[in-house]
Amino acid sequence: MKKQLLIAPTILFLFILLTLFYLLLIERNPSEVPSNLLNKKVPKFETESLLKNERFISSQEFGNEIILVNFFATWCKPCRDEHIYIKRFSSEKEIRVIGINYKDNSSNAIDWLKNLGNPYSNVPIDKNGRIAIDWGVYGIPETFLINSKGIIKYRHVGQITKKTYKKINLLIKEIE
Amino acid sequence: MINKTFIIIISICLIQLFSDNSFTVEPEEVLENQKQELRARNISKNIRCMVCQNQSIDESNAPLAKDLRILIRNKIKEGKKDKEIYIFLTDRYGDFILLKPPLKSSTLALWLLPFIFLIIGFFIVFHHNKKSEKI
Repeated sequence: MKKQLLIAPTILFLFILLTLFYLLLIERNPSEVPSNLLNKKVPKFETESLLKNERFISSQEFGNEIILVNFFATWCKPCRDEHIYIKRFSSEKEIRVIGINYKDNSSNAIDWLKNLGNPYSNVPIDKNGRIAIDWGVYGIPETFLINSKGIIKYRHVGQITKKTYKKINLLIKEIE
Repeated sequence: MINKTFIIIISICLIQLFSDNSFTVEPEEVLENQKQELRARNISKNIRCMVCQNQSIDESNAPLAKDLRILIRNKIKEGKKDKEIYIFLTDRYGDFILLKPPLKSSTLALWLLPFIFLIIGFFIVFHHNKKSEKI
């Protein structure tokens, strides 16, 4: 009886150990929080546009085609690093990309896009970060994939790397 | 010697227990109406800073935490109820933004397991004592 009693905690301990070991080995970011907006309509917003002399009205932009929405700022280093992939989305994959300029200096942003190239079809300005809150953004860069019905299908927090670039491409094929 | 260390540890714990939590609400954020300000502070203490993740927005220096503190105060000034503000935030950031997870079917295990373990613990102690008495 005593021996049997000892076996149970040992098995339980080994099970917990294996689970923790598994969580350690698989690739995951424990601080990444799944978006609450997945499979929901894009938030409605209206704001100034950085490069155009007209207001950006979200309800007129979403719902016709697949769109990538990328929150970026010139002061954000990872945004600069992922810019090459954002450009590839718009030039190679011909995906429409909207870049929301987050809490940034507008003239800096214009210069930044001139120097690095502008992959964005439109750049709405989020001067005080209020639009980002509606999107549940908590750390830029963040990128959202929107389907042709205006529904958010995927959110990536952080810089787009080669791996995420491939992943988003697969997702685009899936929802096309 | 042991007693001295013990007293020091207990004193530190007591100081921690009774000291007011540090907060980072900046003077310009504070509402003039004290009642409204108190409500804002209470809500802020329950809202997780999504950037630091282990602090409330009341304690966090992160810019997003400041934005949310101001947003909560604006909503209170607009006459929104506490519940409406919580719904506004969880709609955007999910239940994770609440420092205390709500009691739902998906979080039932989280809430009930400690009590179940406690009962099992009592049972083991009781069982063990009974055995010792026999000896």
